Amino acid sequence: MLSEAVQPGQARILIVDDEELIVIAMRKYFAGMGYVVDAAHELEEAQALLTHRNYDLVIADLRLTGIGGVEGLQIVADVHQRCPNTRVILLSAFGTPEIERESYNRGADAFLHKPKAMMEIASVAMNLLEQR
Amino acid sequence: MIETALNRILQPGGITPVYQPLFRVRGESIEMHGVECLSRGPKGTNFESATVMFEYVRLKREESLVDRACIAAAFRGASMLPKALHLGVNVHASTLGRDHGFIDFLKATAAATGIDLPRITIEIVEHAPPWDGVSFLSSLSQLRQLGMHIALDDVGLGQSNFKMLLDAQPDYLKVDRYFIENCADDPRRRAVIAALEQLATNFGAELIAEGVTSHEDAQCMQELGVTLMQGFHFAEPVTAEELVAVCA
Repeated sequence: MLSEAVQPGQARILIVDDEELIVIAMRKYFAGMGYVVDAAHELEEAQALLTHRNYDLVIADLRLTGIGGVEGLQIVADVHQRCPNTRVILLSAFGTPEIERESYNRGADAFLHKPKAMMEIASVAMNLLEQR
Repeated sequence: MIETALNRILQPGGITPVYQPLFRVRGESIEMHGVECLSRGPKGTNFESATVMFEYVRLKREESLVDRACIAAAFRGASMLPKALHLGVNVHASTLGRDHGFIDFLKATAAATGIDLPRITIEIVEHAPPWDGVSFLSSLSQLRQLGMHIALDDVGLGQSNFKMLLDAQPDYLKVDRYFIENCADDPRRRAVIAALEQLATNFGAELIAEGVTSHEDAQCMQELGVTLMQGFHFAEPVTAEELVAVCA
């Protein structure tokens, strides 16, 4: 379900992951921290949301349904094409050094290897949001 | 099978139809002319927003499947509405150009739900050219032969351009809310609407104002010769049951 309007100063986050349990956990964690959170389970769903509204931060798993490796980096271009100032954190369980390097080349703000504790993801997210 | 959002949209009950009343306004006389059939995606998902749902569907290139699902849901609900009401249904130009079974589907669905074809206006939503132009024009010709009407949606924006106007020869031009909202206070918006009204007249078509949200804008439309209007000033989209209750 789409989140409601943000309050002044409140950040809106989009979580993109095809694993429902991860989405539920991250949505709950970030909402509990006071962020407004939307979630998408497919690349096209994320793209549709990005067309519809602006996000301050996108946290995306590289291995979306049907997409893996370098192809998944398309999400970075999709985000910046629609919202140039949006920060992007990429998560991957299979990220090679090449993919990590390519992620930064394409404009990702952070690349985190899964599994990663929620607190660590949140710490990176907060730092990026504070830099805005 | 992986449970994708598309599966959830297409499963029975995935689409919820609602109906936006369209009024003929002449002075103090306001009569319901028809409804535009709108669709909402599965409850509790991002697709409750039609904007998000149709953007997703276009990215998946599954416009035809979802257009069919929306029409089936809309006609089922519309079967309980008064037979005098016209029914506008949104169809992507790509569906008309590529889905060669679409018109048979439309006829069969209308027959199954007791809806006479001349009540139907096909509102062409154009987002993704190029489509098969020959098939598209052939589909429009068949729709007309069956007694259905043609409308161009979102006129003034995006792909609803002059070429489409020439090709589709619509009965109605639906002017996007962008031009209608606050037109009473904006001479430039009024100039655009006046030009479109003249264009429609020259084409033998009629203008429909979308997104009329105030008495002042409705008054402005009438002064410009536009009498078909929809928008929150008159009514919000409602379910078929709610509409039946209002019409009773």
